[in-house]
Amino acid sequence: MSLSRIPRIGIGGPVGSGKTMLIEQMVPHLKGEGYDVGIISNDVVSREDAERMRKNLATEKGLMPEDLVIGIATGGCPHTAVREDPSINISVVEEMELKHPNLDLIIIESGGDNITTTFSPALADYFIYIIDVSGGDKYPRKRGLGIETCDLLVINKIDIASFIGADLGIMERDAKIIRRDKPFVFVNSKTGQGVREATDYIIKDVLFNAPPKSKIKI
Amino acid sequence: MNLIKDLMYMNIENDDNFISIDDISFLQLSDSFFPTGLYTNSNGLESLFYNKDKNKKLTYNDIFDFVKAYISQQVGPTDCSVIGNVYNCIQKNDYSTLLELDGVYYFMRLIDETRSASIRSGIQLLRCISSFTNNDEYVNFYLKNIKDGSAKGVYPVSFALSCNAMNIKKERSGLMLLYGFTISVVGAALRLGILQHYDGQRLIHEIKSVILSSVINNINRSYSSMWQFIPQLDIIQIQHEQMDSKMFIT
Repeated sequence: MSLSRIPRIGIGGPVGSGKTMLIEQMVPHLKGEGYDVGIISNDVVSREDAERMRKNLATEKGLMPEDLVIGIATGGCPHTAVREDPSINISVVEEMELKHPNLDLIIIESGGDNITTTFSPALADYFIYIIDVSGGDKYPRKRGLGIETCDLLVINKIDIASFIGADLGIMERDAKIIRRDKPFVFVNSKTGQGVREATDYIIKDVLFNAPPKSKIKI
Repeated sequence: MNLIKDLMYMNIENDDNFISIDDISFLQLSDSFFPTGLYTNSNGLESLFYNKDKNKKLTYNDIFDFVKAYISQQVGPTDCSVIGNVYNCIQKNDYSTLLELDGVYYFMRLIDETRSASIRSGIQLLRCISSFTNNDEYVNFYLKNIKDGSAKGVYPVSFALSCNAMNIKKERSGLMLLYGFTISVVGAALRLGILQHYDGQRLIHEIKSVILSSVINNINRSYSSMWQFIPQLDIIQIQHEQMDSKMFIT
């Protein structure tokens, strides 16, 4: 059990929407500002995402120790693992908090569709939902709890919109209507376009622009 | 609030029938909706499913035998016995044996991923229970020792303390534990596509006598005579631990 709670963000979205790549793009921005990050990845069937992030962010780029990327199997129930019964995720988060109390942020990734995926507030303080344009420009309009209630909506893969006939203007219009005052950003996780803006929301709304723990002198 | 408090202590008698709030607690803790993460465990079934002979499909009878072997050879003589012994500790105010049971059970779990799953579920169960039961002495004691590092927080000890905190009797706690174990394997079998939903319920119905006799045989088993022997299933669990791609934690 932890002495102090480290801020946690949940990143949810359908399989293939780009959750893992978004994290891979965000962490260097956060690290560039001096923030130390841990990652927990809820995979539906494999440990592939966790292993990929461990290789790319820890082993190759040295942005974090390898033990700060943890994969969790969810018994095929990713929604349950972050919403109705987040007990296993909470256990793993708390173990991470105990071992690494100086972390500034813990990112929890989970797959799931737009109908039910929302993170339990007991697990995540801030919730990013990611969709991609390949689902069509109707996606935001079709709503769902994930799209409507998340703190930040990320619309990914904008580079392929023209190839599949998705109109980004329609997506922007509908996202504004459905999200009201809540933010959304267009992103191309492959090139990094829009990722800095998404990261700035985390720094402002989750970390409250506080300096990284490693830079605080006691 | 007073009305709720009064209701908590009200029993309803009707001829030979006797029901109380404790019966609802029994249902609450037996429900797979109770948040302990057990749905993430297949107890090695996932490994068996992927490592079986490619030409042989797992059948209803295979799953029945799988659950029966676990209950008869491990969960009954170990987990269920731990439950009974925890209740005895509570009766005797024996805190030190309670902590010993925690350690013995921990070391009886031979596979790392099952040990760690037991602890994660055990601690979360206790913390959930402590959030709404009224300051139970034993739950608090165990939580404090987990925090201090003097106890691990294994699932059957946590489960017995939680049941006791909700006024559930020892034998019923044993039934609940074995029932919960069965549900988690059947749930995994459904998600792996081995069983269909009617078959799952039929299996639960048909395994009832195995659960009942296991509780009768093991709930009063002494601490020193706890045992387990399922080497083939242990090997399957080890294989699961080493699988690259998996849906379940165990």
